Amino acid sequence: MPAPQSDLLQGTLDVLILKSLALQELHGMGISRRISQMTNGAFDVKAGSLFPALHRMEQAGWLKSAWGESETNRRAKFYSLTKAGRKQLQTETERWERISLAMSAALGAN
Amino acid sequence: MISRLRGLWNNVFRRNQLDRDLDEELRAYAELVSAEKMRAGLSPEEAYRDTRREMGGDEQIRQSVRDIRAGALLDRLAQDIRYGIRTLSRSPGFCLVAVATLALGIGANTAMFSLLDQIVLRLLPVKEPERLAMITERGNFYGDSYGPNTISWPMFEDLRDNNRVFSGMFCRFSTPVTLGDGDRAAQVTAELVSASYFSVLGVDMALGRPITPQDDSVPDSQPVVVLSYGFWQTYFNSDRTIVGRTIALNSHNMTVIGVAEPGFDGVEFGNPAKLFVPIMMKTEMTPRSDGLKDRRRRLQWVTAYGRLKPKVTMEQAQLSLQTLLHSILEMEAREPSFRGFTAADREQFLRNRIQLLPGSDNGLREYMRRPLWLLVALTGAVLLLACANLAGLLLARATAREQEFAVRLAIGASRVRIVRQLLVECLHLSGAGALLGLALAFIADRVLEKMYLSPDATAQFAVSPIPDVRVLLFTLCAMFLTSFTFGLLPAIRGSRTEIAPTISERSVSGAVGSLALRRTLVGTQVALSLLLLVGAGLSVRTLRNLENRGPGFPTEHLLTFSINPSLNGYSNEQTEDFFERLAENLQTMPGVSSVGMSGMPILKGYAWQDAVQGKDFQGQPKQDQPVLNMIGPDYFAALGIPLLAGRAFTVRDVGPAKYAVVNQAFAREYLPAGNPLGKRFRLVNFDDPSQLQRDVEVIGLIPDMKYRDLRETPPAQAYFPYYQDTKFRFMNFYLRTQVDPACLWTRFANACANSTRMFRWLDYRRSKSRLAIRCGPSGW
Repeated sequence: MPAPQSDLLQGTLDVLILKSLALQELHGMGISRRISQMTNGAFDVKAGSLFPALHRMEQAGWLKSAWGESETNRRAKFYSLTKAGRKQLQTETERWERISLAMSAALGAN
Repeated sequence: MISRLRGLWNNVFRRNQLDRDLDEELRAYAELVSAEKMRAGLSPEEAYRDTRREMGGDEQIRQSVRDIRAGALLDRLAQDIRYGIRTLSRSPGFCLVAVATLALGIGANTAMFSLLDQIVLRLLPVKEPERLAMITERGNFYGDSYGPNTISWPMFEDLRDNNRVFSGMFCRFSTPVTLGDGDRAAQVTAELVSASYFSVLGVDMALGRPITPQDDSVPDSQPVVVLSYGFWQTYFNSDRTIVGRTIALNSHNMTVIGVAEPGFDGVEFGNPAKLFVPIMMKTEMTPRSDGLKDRRRRLQWVTAYGRLKPKVTMEQAQLSLQTLLHSILEMEAREPSFRGFTAADREQFLRNRIQLLPGSDNGLREYMRRPLWLLVALTGAVLLLACANLAGLLLARATAREQEFAVRLAIGASRVRIVRQLLVECLHLSGAGALLGLALAFIADRVLEKMYLSPDATAQFAVSPIPDVRVLLFTLCAMFLTSFTFGLLPAIRGSRTEIAPTISERSVSGAVGSLALRRTLVGTQVALSLLLLVGAGLSVRTLRNLENRGPGFPTEHLLTFSINPSLNGYSNEQTEDFFERLAENLQTMPGVSSVGMSGMPILKGYAWQDAVQGKDFQGQPKQDQPVLNMIGPDYFAALGIPLLAGRAFTVRDVGPAKYAVVNQAFAREYLPAGNPLGKRFRLVNFDDPSQLQRDVEVIGLIPDMKYRDLRETPPAQAYFPYYQDTKFRFMNFYLRTQVDPACLWTRFANACANSTRMFRWLDYRRSKSRLAIRCGPSGW
């Protein structure tokens, strides 16, 4: 049985989900597709990782959810960012910028 | 935080709703993905199949979401517990063995711990027990000591009024008194206490008022009594109207003024007090002994305690008191009773010193500490062994259950989950074991107490059916520790199961391997158990030997009791008569080979020390004064002490001391040259100056034996025939029997009853506890 999150760092998934919800509220599949689109298809988030992450983040108070209508008129659960979630996105973004700068510096310098 | 709490609330109480929501959410996701695929041109069936493949197992997603929810741990634990019970109930035999093994292990440990706790670890139930000091005088006292660590009443008063290190001091004296009269009479232990007893100890009253300084000013003036809580419960049925009522103590009417707080039984461990009486009532409580009123300085009878002032250490207090003691001793040495003393004896006397002992300590603690720790270590080893055994059983079980684990792993259980599940099963077992163990411990403690303590002391133990917090905590720790000890290895092994081979092979080979493993473990267990048994046996034997070697005479088939006829209002003549008749009656009893009497009880800390003089050792005072005793004719025969030279006393010698039997230590120290027989020495007698110059002739020599307690090296001893007008209130009887003394009890009681009608007033049960000389704690 392959570990569902082995190719995706937990922190990465969280920040991607937060980012995907920065502009509008989305349902589960919407988030998955949005992430795929944002990363040019590099990250394909499967349900097995997505839903635990969503529920965990909701528990943490970063997301809130509400039932609504999908584009196909299907009842679906829509997630949106809370105030704490926006703040978390802010900190995470800064952190990632620092890490990516540091990493490129490290890898660039032979 | 609030969202978290709400989440927890929802998770615990609205779990079904949440599960339904999750299902709906997942279904929506699947449908949306299918719809997308259909838009891309797939047929509905193909789209559905693809979606399913992409999503993976619904159940697995659901489980991982549930795992994330707050309170999920609780949820899963409940699940594990339910599952554990189901699994275990399928193998009742295994459970029975496991629980029984654990119950024995945990039970033994809990029992030992609660004994250790009560005897060694726990201090007196008073305020700040560690600030309490017992004040003792060490050195040569030149007088009578009624009990270990005692000082004289005037000495107590001097120390109390002049010290600068204690915030308060009190003294006490323990004595048996007769409660009630006629057929309802019973002998109970009373503590005579000075005024500040309760206030210095910080013991409150459950009912009424304590003894106060007003009760402690004029001798004989305050016939009041405070009851111990336990005694009030058992003897007076917790009667709340008891305060103000009158009870008869030694035929004196005493008013009950209060009931002490629960759990407090006086300060002497192993000799619980039932009543507290102002020490000013000494004459009424101990007829014919007047150490209080006549202010004899040469009679030690009270144990004195002080509560250290804040910031004063024991060492500082001891130094400060030493100066005070010295001035008191100088004053004492100028008294008339010291006239017959040589300068050297006086000098030796002035070297006496104060020793402070921890006030909440007890003799039992000293004596029991090592054997108890040893036993605790041994029972700890037994528990470890039980764990090893169970680990073996569980390992075998885990091997047998490999298939189950494989299936569970295959359908998505994590390894951690399986380890946890197995540990929960172990907790079930050890939990049941602990419960049963507590019950066993309760029984075991009763048995151990009987083995190690005199019944008097047992009464003081608060081993209630509801164990106290410390013991429960100990048991709980033992439980968790054991389940992790015996459960972890098998659990980890179980979780390492490889899925494929196990499921396909339906392993038969596993059973064979486990059998070998089990054999090894059982072998180890048997070997270790044997080792432990041998070790325990040896250590018990060593203890026994120590006890037997103890006093220097055989203690089997020896029965001892003390009798105090003055408590029943006997006059001197009646007392004499009583002792004589009792001795005769006992002598003719079948099964009794000899009856010895002594004025001072041996091995109870009592001592009689007077100055000894003789021309051979004039001017050479010894470090330790000899201890003396007044004895009846058959004393040595009864104790089984052989005469090395000369003869013992005969009935004709009974009379004022003219002859003496001494032990080897005495002969070595005081009569060094040649044969001690026929040598003479003088006894400086404080009570009767007319006997001051009387020479005593040595007529017999006995080997060294212990006198005050088992710890001492045998001191120099001299024995005199007890004279009829005994100065001792009570007589100690030592009966050498041909059979087990316990068998003689009924006949013994009859013989006593024949001697006097008074004997029915004695509490038989109490005397019975003194069957066979106890060299253990009760003797100290």
